[in-house]
Amino acid sequence: MMKDIVKLGLILAAFAAAACVGLAFVNQATEAQIAVNAEKQLNESLSGLFPEAEKFVDATAELKIADPAVALEAAYLAERGGAPLGVAVKAKGQSYGGPTTVLVGVALDRRIAGVRILDGKDTPGLGANAMNPTFFVDKSKKTTFPGQFSGKALSDPFEVKNDVVAITASTITSKAITKMIKASADAASARLEAFAAAPAEAAPGGK
Amino acid sequence: MTKIFIIALLINNVVLMRFLALCSYVGMTSDVGQSVGMGFAVTFVTVLATAATWPLYNFVLLPLGLGFLQILVFILVIASLVQLVEFYLKKNVPGLYAAMGIYLPLITTNCAILAVTFENISNGYSFIESIVYAVGVSLGYLLAMVLLAGVRIRIKNSPVPKFLKGTPILFAATSLIAIAFMGFSGLVK
Amino acid sequence: MKRLWKIFKAGIIYENPLLMLMIGLCSALAVTTNVSNGVGMGLAMTFVMLFSEVIISLFRKVIPNSARMPIFIIVIAAFTTIIDLVMKAYFPELSKSMGVFIPLIVVNCIIMGRVEAFASKEKVLDCVADSLGMGLGYTWVLVGIAAFRELLGNGTLAGLQVMPASFEPILFFILPPGGFLVFALFISLNIWLKGRMQKASAKAEAKAEEVAA
Repeated sequence: MMKDIVKLGLILAAFAAAACVGLAFVNQATEAQIAVNAEKQLNESLSGLFPEAEKFVDATAELKIADPAVALEAAYLAERGGAPLGVAVKAKGQSYGGPTTVLVGVALDRRIAGVRILDGKDTPGLGANAMNPTFFVDKSKKTTFPGQFSGKALSDPFEVKNDVVAITASTITSKAITKMIKASADAASARLEAFAAAPAEAAPGGK
Repeated sequence: MTKIFIIALLINNVVLMRFLALCSYVGMTSDVGQSVGMGFAVTFVTVLATAATWPLYNFVLLPLGLGFLQILVFILVIASLVQLVEFYLKKNVPGLYAAMGIYLPLITTNCAILAVTFENISNGYSFIESIVYAVGVSLGYLLAMVLLAGVRIRIKNSPVPKFLKGTPILFAATSLIAIAFMGFSGLVK
Repeated sequence: MKRLWKIFKAGIIYENPLLMLMIGLCSALAVTTNVSNGVGMGLAMTFVMLFSEVIISLFRKVIPNSARMPIFIIVIAAFTTIIDLVMKAYFPELSKSMGVFIPLIVVNCIIMGRVEAFASKEKVLDCVADSLGMGLGYTWVLVGIAAFRELLGNGTLAGLQVMPASFEPILFFILPPGGFLVFALFISLNIWLKGRMQKASAKAEAKAEEVAA
């Protein structure tokens, strides 16, 4: 009887051990690629927002988001020739189906350079259409949900059904993402104020 | 936190909006009593599973860099919990144990439970938020089950068109219940 | 060889896991809002089922009966994790789009059910036929429902615009109630198909008997 239980336990343990080892292997093999994918997406998004930028300097410590429901993940200063082009803010907040991560770029003229939705957990076909590059809120102009924010002035109300077009049947998602974009943009704008206030910070010889 | 609860229970109902736990939904709703029993059993297991898996992930797997073992560990925890519930019911509530029959061990394969344990992590919920979410989702499951059980009683005595006889009519009915549930989305700003 | 073909065929219509056996529904409907997700899910699930059935069949003489459930779970969970990691690494968009449904493959009743009913008792080659048949049966239903829902609900197929620009998509089909309704219709269709195939094979048998007599 005891011998049977021990035998049972050993076989179980053997399977479990084999599984863990096998998984550790696969994990090792895929880890690097998974990390590369995330970085690639971020870099592509940043370049998409500020195509003339030469480099992106990490500026996370210099920003703060006022809205407690939106968490600042990272901030980048887009630079060209030492002069700032704008600020990109990566922030995370709760949407309908789970957390959503947005990347918002604000240019020097206090207009939104662009918005990218990096990650989200909303329903495919509904809220997840915010991330779908083929889903248009304005079919005639082929504008995607985040695309409608490009060039938008920060002084706008940023209200769904007012100056922001919602995704059909996904109002909660649309409102949540709009809130995140506004909060991130405001934080970016505050950082840009610091540039205007201290022009001496510009690179020597540059503008 | 009420927002998490309301969304889980009604607006994003686990069965009617997210298509989870359908196997037991179809299989265990022939009787209202059965549905209620199943609903509560699932609630019990889900909350326990949350209480076990959340700390396990955040305090053991993650710090040790063993995040890739999440699927394996979580499902084993759930399977063990269901075994424990089985033993307990067999000894102390044999009536319910007999009534649930094969569907008791099937709770292990209930997608909703595993989904909840996963989402507690991926949504970054705190421990309390996770418990609230778990309760919200499982009560939503209970609600959907009881609703369909009630509808099935009516269907038994109604003339069903030939091409919908059997399971199709159940899903057609569920489609209508789901439409009703979509009305709840106005509850949350 | 004929036996293998029979086992393979069974999973496609007669014993279609989704439409006939009514198992594995959980992940099935949620991923059918577009064809890419449907195909991705079908293939991922087939992968996990194939390898799980094969491993369990290989070790079926060694697995003790009283501990078989935990071992099945360990094997299925391992392959689910593998496909999850592989998709995250090489198909990141699809992986994100399918979200929690990839890990949910581990509780897919089809895999659990077939492993218990079939793989633990049959030879490896039979299991390969069975898993591929069931996987194909699962995938065709998924793709069928997804094509229907995406075409009518969004005007696209796998993201490519198919319907003319003037087509006003019927949002209902993308929404959950639409999913349930389309599924109801597919089940109905399959029942009808099965009925016809049974009639046809009964006729063929009767004819064969006549000829023999």
